[in-house]
Amino acid sequence: MKDARHPLTWWIWSLTLAIGIARGNNPWLAIAVVGCAYLVVRTFRSDAPWSRSFESGLKLGLWILIIRTTFGILIGTPIPGTTIFRLPILPLPEWMAGIRIGGAVTQERLFSTAREGVILAAIIILFSAASSLTSPHRLLRVLPFAVYQFGLALVIATSLVPQFVRSISRLKDAQYLRGQKLSFKKILIPLLEESLARSLDLAAAMDSRGYGSSRVRSRYRAISWNPGDSLIIAASALSLLSPPLALLSVATPFLLIKRRVAVPVS
Amino acid sequence: MITFAAVSLIYPNSTKTVLENLSLTIDEGEFVLIIGPTGSGKSSLLRLINGLVPHHTGGILAGDISVDGISTQSVKPGGLAHLIGIVGQNPVNGFVTDTVEEELAFGMESLNIAPDVMRKRVEEILDLMSLAPLRERSLATLSGGEQQRVAIGSALVMHPKVLVLDEPTSALDPIAAEEVLSILHRLVHDLGLTVIVAEHRLERVIQFADRIVHIDGLGNTRVGTPAQIMSDSDIAPPIVHLARALGLEEVGLTVRDMRRMSEQIRGGSYSHTIEELSVSNETVIELCDLSLSFSSKSVLKDIDIKICAGEVIALMGRNGAGKSSLLKTIVGLHEATSGRVSVLGNNPLTISGSKRRESIGFIPQEPSDLLYGQSVIMECQQADLDNEIAEGTTFELLNELVPGISPHSHPRDLSEGQRLALALSVVLSAKPKVLILDEPTRGLDYQAKSHLVSTLLRYAKVLGRTVILATHDVELVAELATRVIFLADGDCVADGKTLDVLLSSPAFAPQVAKVMSPQPWLTVKDVINALDVNP
Repeated sequence: MKDARHPLTWWIWSLTLAIGIARGNNPWLAIAVVGCAYLVVRTFRSDAPWSRSFESGLKLGLWILIIRTTFGILIGTPIPGTTIFRLPILPLPEWMAGIRIGGAVTQERLFSTAREGVILAAIIILFSAASSLTSPHRLLRVLPFAVYQFGLALVIATSLVPQFVRSISRLKDAQYLRGQKLSFKKILIPLLEESLARSLDLAAAMDSRGYGSSRVRSRYRAISWNPGDSLIIAASALSLLSPPLALLSVATPFLLIKRRVAVPVS
Repeated sequence: MITFAAVSLIYPNSTKTVLENLSLTIDEGEFVLIIGPTGSGKSSLLRLINGLVPHHTGGILAGDISVDGISTQSVKPGGLAHLIGIVGQNPVNGFVTDTVEEELAFGMESLNIAPDVMRKRVEEILDLMSLAPLRERSLATLSGGEQQRVAIGSALVMHPKVLVLDEPTSALDPIAAEEVLSILHRLVHDLGLTVIVAEHRLERVIQFADRIVHIDGLGNTRVGTPAQIMSDSDIAPPIVHLARALGLEEVGLTVRDMRRMSEQIRGGSYSHTIEELSVSNETVIELCDLSLSFSSKSVLKDIDIKICAGEVIALMGRNGAGKSSLLKTIVGLHEATSGRVSVLGNNPLTISGSKRRESIGFIPQEPSDLLYGQSVIMECQQADLDNEIAEGTTFELLNELVPGISPHSHPRDLSEGQRLALALSVVLSAKPKVLILDEPTRGLDYQAKSHLVSTLLRYAKVLGRTVILATHDVELVAELATRVIFLADGDCVADGKTLDVLLSSPAFAPQVAKVMSPQPWLTVKDVINALDVNP
């Protein structure tokens, strides 16, 4: 499937939205923007392997939220206010004064850590939205030569991740068929060996096809910048002006959906 | 075009020389075939040509290799990209982009070739490799033969003078393999391209070769015309073994030559009985109206098969015909969408643990998936422990299959054939009632293949167990199978005795049958039995 957007568009879109959210510092806004971004991803993504990365980003974001909030409650300086509950205080040596583990958990403290967590998670999810909307191979083409090594690593990583998932299920099947109980070690060792061999193969193939041997790369298909790209970028710039406008900019891509003309079926 | 001047190669931490003092000149427009047992250094020799060895892999290289006057010592592989196209053993591992067209353009983009030139060349290659209908397809959705053609195309699009291919047909069915090889043949003759191929299945390529380089794995190499090398080589296609068995003065390398030479033998009338394998009536596997589909795509359609104890069944068909899916349904990895599967009266989805080991043994396409031990002996001990048998039984079994494997070597360091033998002995140590193998001969040399054949035959005949294998290798099927099931697009299109099924279609007939047609002989052994000649 051809994606019509320039590979940088979605990245700029998510970057500006992320800045908007961080500046707004409003968890409800962040949640609303992420929800909207999810709809955009569902509408615009192809069925390529990387388009599933939004879901992984969502999981990662939620984990970060949980871990951050737990630590925020346990450790750190107290914020005075309404106490919800008390945790036992862990005695610490004197030179660690100023740090406290446990103690009273106030409503203010809980809300402030949760808010920071939500915003951090939202930023991560927005980036995963960009990566599930952009082919890493197309992105690689518009990146300058200076980040060549980075690009190489990116291509190897993005072609390996789907391979990784397939290999894991293959290895699991094989162990199951050998009548073994599943264990981490039995899958990990063959998996690592195979992935290493695969990435060496890919690096050798890219090398022998001249990748990186010329400073300038030509482009087989020009990657063009369309009015649609400008529209998305311009709209996302709104969120820089005033954070609540992020809700407007996250929804702009929907304007670009071409209306299908209904053809009567005879 | 390519000159090897006194080339020796040794890898670090290894005591074995891969090549010793090899001097060889390959002219423009030559088709050179490299043969040798697995692990003998065929791939290393190929990768020396564009400098991947030693630039990419390490190793100590003495002597000099030059291609079109450029020494590989002074230039990195990327610097030779315009001159040498190289296609690896597994083309999927070398794909960099998403679609066919982008993959073809990738190398040219790296060399900064102007867009209008690129467009022209991509069109040219799309036509040459018959890829035009696939131009926008995602690479992951292509069949094995199509992927191989894209890989060759993306090497050719750079207009190289040399094309290097490592086992280009090992994963392909006979028809796709023929297609790929005839394209190579045409390139050599039309464009004067120099082609260097390493391949195990000589029956597929030998007729195209101008010269053969034979590597013995101890550092020695022999170079000669196919007729010279084949006169006494231990690695030889069935057709050459046939010529030797018949005591012909010359060895014929093509079916046409051999038919001319064997006209008299073929013409006679022979009364011979084909050895009938006694098959018991005990049904082991029963498939009733089995259908399987993945997300509304139908993979298997109404398959009705009964398999008895003691049968050796070959499952054949094109890449993507549903062979692996059928095997996976039988072993209980896929749940049938409709219909019924029963193995020894049980639903395979419910068998687990030691009961599974004793009823179904499965060797996947990558035998190493089964192995996770740090050494051969650890792997064998684990199998002994699992099956509660005397310690050392599994290793003994392995020693019978392939003698001389060091118990302390790592499974990764074994050759392809040895690794298969290890996986096989681990599985066989549980003495499963049904043994299932998916593409067991990928990357195996003739010697490893004959070991496999004798092991499986013994297992089926002596113990009366059932063996099912999916394969593209018609020669293996001719040697081994009692019954062939042919799948096409998820349908079972043929199911019958090996002799009947193989002789009914020329594409899937083994070499001996093609030579000896209309006599119903599939293998050299059949011919010897029928003629009663002493080899």
